[in-house]
Amino acid sequence: MSMESPLHHFELHPIIPMSVMGLDISINKAVIAMWIGSAVIFGVFMLVVKGGVSLIPGKVQSLAEMILEFIGGMVEEFIGEADRAKFLPFIASLFLFILACNLIGLIPGSYTITSQLVVTGAFAVGIFIMTLVIGFGRHGMHFLSVLVPPGVPKVMIPLMIPIEIISMLARPISLAVRLFANMTAGHTVLAVLFGLAMSSPLWVGWLPFGFTVIINGLEIAIAIIQAYIFTTLTCVYIGDVIKLH
Amino acid sequence: MPQFEQVSVFGSLIFWSLISFGLLFVLLKKYAFPPILEALEARQEKIRSEIEASETLKKEAQEIKLQLEKEFQGAHAKAESIVQMASNEAKKLQEKTLSETQAKVRQMQADVEREIETSRIKLLKEIRSYTAQLTIASTEKFLKKSLDEKDKKRLADESIEEVIREMEERSRN
Repeated sequence: MSMESPLHHFELHPIIPMSVMGLDISINKAVIAMWIGSAVIFGVFMLVVKGGVSLIPGKVQSLAEMILEFIGGMVEEFIGEADRAKFLPFIASLFLFILACNLIGLIPGSYTITSQLVVTGAFAVGIFIMTLVIGFGRHGMHFLSVLVPPGVPKVMIPLMIPIEIISMLARPISLAVRLFANMTAGHTVLAVLFGLAMSSPLWVGWLPFGFTVIINGLEIAIAIIQAYIFTTLTCVYIGDVIKLH
Repeated sequence: MPQFEQVSVFGSLIFWSLISFGLLFVLLKKYAFPPILEALEARQEKIRSEIEASETLKKEAQEIKLQLEKEFQGAHAKAESIVQMASNEAKKLQEKTLSETQAKVRQMQADVEREIETSRIKLLKEIRSYTAQLTIASTEKFLKKSLDEKDKKRLADESIEEVIREMEERSRN
């Protein structure tokens, strides 16, 4: 029995072919999985809202409140208490969206859209542009001082500016690659182990299969942690441009 | 790696992921987050106000406690002074009664002594007269003659003196 490539399951094929102005926007498995994940998130929150938000919370309301409180704390810590109300909805949506995409991919047969570098890259670039807009919006041209760390001797400035530019540009790249690599690696490991389990006889195949179960548990933790890291770093980057050093 | 090779799906993935995120963000921001955040704030406010209220109550209770303690101490001091006053009064009354009784006793004693003295004098007078008469009578009988007034007086005085002396000696013994 030949073993399928562990990367094979990352391939995408159009389910509903579609194109707008020459751009192929066919709906594929990844998009459907993402929609299901987003729908679950929205559904859970609407369940809380439609059920009537009470002063004494039920289980689902507690969960929703816990998530919002947690992210609210993060926003307060990295961006500032004054901007909490402004950024909380965006950061919370980002966290929940990435979390949903990460977790939905763990269901066998589903797809993790965050294992696509273009997707994580699009988000990272979008966030990077957003930080620039916020920075210039808040500080005007003074925002460029972010390229010169405080206390740097004047002689060093020509050297520091390129370094700071590189470090700023590295941020979206690291942000995108971190999420993509973690999701891809996890799923690849799972695919390899599952491939082994499937291609071996039962008397030895139970071993890699057992590992897939354990790694799957680990992947749930990684899915949550990576969503958390992505949002935390987003907060840090936004906080940096708001506070400037 | 399909993620780098399948360039044809990139457009669709970027498009749909950004659109989906945007939609989710708008929906959550508009419908889901506000009521939950409001509930959180309301709860926070309720907890804060209740804690504040309980702290005010605690403060009031402490003030009342302090006041009560003060009043209790005042009452205690008052009670002590009343007891002290009563005891002083009782002492005074006792002393007064004692001194009155002592005076009365002394008075009675003096009265009794005076009475005794009077009785004694009266008795002595009577004894003196009886002794005189007895002495004169016995002497007259003994001498078979009557004595003149001068002897009578001398005899009587001697006898009386003797009798009294004897009586006094007897009483002394």
